[in-house]
Amino acid sequence: MKAIIMAFLGSVFPAVLFNVKRSSLVWVGICGTLGYTTYYLTEKITGKITFATFIGALIVGVFSEGTARILKIPATIFSVSGSTPLVPGIAAYTTIQYVVENKLSNAASKGIETLSSALAIAFGIMLASAIFRVVSKIRLKYTVKHK
Amino acid sequence: MKNREVLDIAIRAGEILLRNGAEIYRVEDTIVRICKSYGVACEAFVLPTGMFITAFGANDEDISIVRRIKERMVNLYKVELINSFSRRIEKEPLSHRDAKLELDEISNSPRHSFLLRLASAAIISFAYTILFKGTYIEGGFAFAIGAMIYLLKETVSKIGFFQFFDTFISGMLAAGLSLVVNRYFPHADIYKIIIGSIMILLPGVAITNAIKDALHGDIASSVFRLSEALYVATAVGAGVGVVLSLSLR
Repeated sequence: MKAIIMAFLGSVFPAVLFNVKRSSLVWVGICGTLGYTTYYLTEKITGKITFATFIGALIVGVFSEGTARILKIPATIFSVSGSTPLVPGIAAYTTIQYVVENKLSNAASKGIETLSSALAIAFGIMLASAIFRVVSKIRLKYTVKHK
Repeated sequence: MKNREVLDIAIRAGEILLRNGAEIYRVEDTIVRICKSYGVACEAFVLPTGMFITAFGANDEDISIVRRIKERMVNLYKVELINSFSRRIEKEPLSHRDAKLELDEISNSPRHSFLLRLASAAIISFAYTILFKGTYIEGGFAFAIGAMIYLLKETVSKIGFFQFFDTFISGMLAAGLSLVVNRYFPHADIYKIIIGSIMILLPGVAITNAIKDALHGDIASSVFRLSEALYVATAVGAGVGVVLSLSLR
């Protein structure tokens, strides 16, 4: 529960720094919270960080595409700040920290974790937007046929 | 409207997008869309550091514009405004003067107040310290340090020594202040305080955007953003590392 509230704060306030307008901030917060909660639960159940990040990002992507269509705002606005709790900033820093401390094999493993988390997030968000595009295309075809 | 005026509007819109953290494909798409809605065929090639646009005119009168971009930040509100601007222009093209006025207005649109941004930086530091299993006391320290780091970063980046200098010096400040905290409160974990307070500096979003660019086929800008993220992470890590290794002796 504590983590969920922190995930909410941790996605709303980066959005303030990214200058997202006030009326969208709540949606960004919900987006980040849903994504992080999914990540947290998946990580607990399967124990795989990258997979959990992917599922979390997929939820962030689906939510932001959906909200973007309702509010008529680009989906990036939601997904950039909504994915902040998942994004591997700390992992990137820790990699460099290990290099500074001369723990090179730790640095290598942390570095791979950073890159694979970033890949997982990007793939998750892109997959969600691809699904939305395919669905709206099919719907368009369907309505044209039945007119 | 003349080709040159159409191109002028398109490149202004593209510039605002690129300066404020839009993806490459969105910039190219917007430029082509604006030109198309005025009936001008054009080709756009966009890199994170500059844009090349050519409009094809009648009688072999092609016009090209190159625009170099030096400063980049993230301001998603402007991205949103330009996005709706280009969609509106698609439905009913504005005159050159009106479009220019509107773009000026967008590029001068206000940011959240400094106090609010400062408070957000502090709260981000607090939230991520707790999220990385720190205690509330450590979160409180991170809250204060995060605010100071934001203050320092804003001042230093205004003076502008060289790129990444502000992140380097902010990393040093984070490590130094955490050491001071640790001296008086030995229970507080340095590592967790540092992690929370440098969260606002770290390039997590940049790494993810780099991969997104790659998935859109913009490999050149993806490599650009990845290495930029690497430099930022190195600057922060080096700043923290210098102070911590000095203190261990």
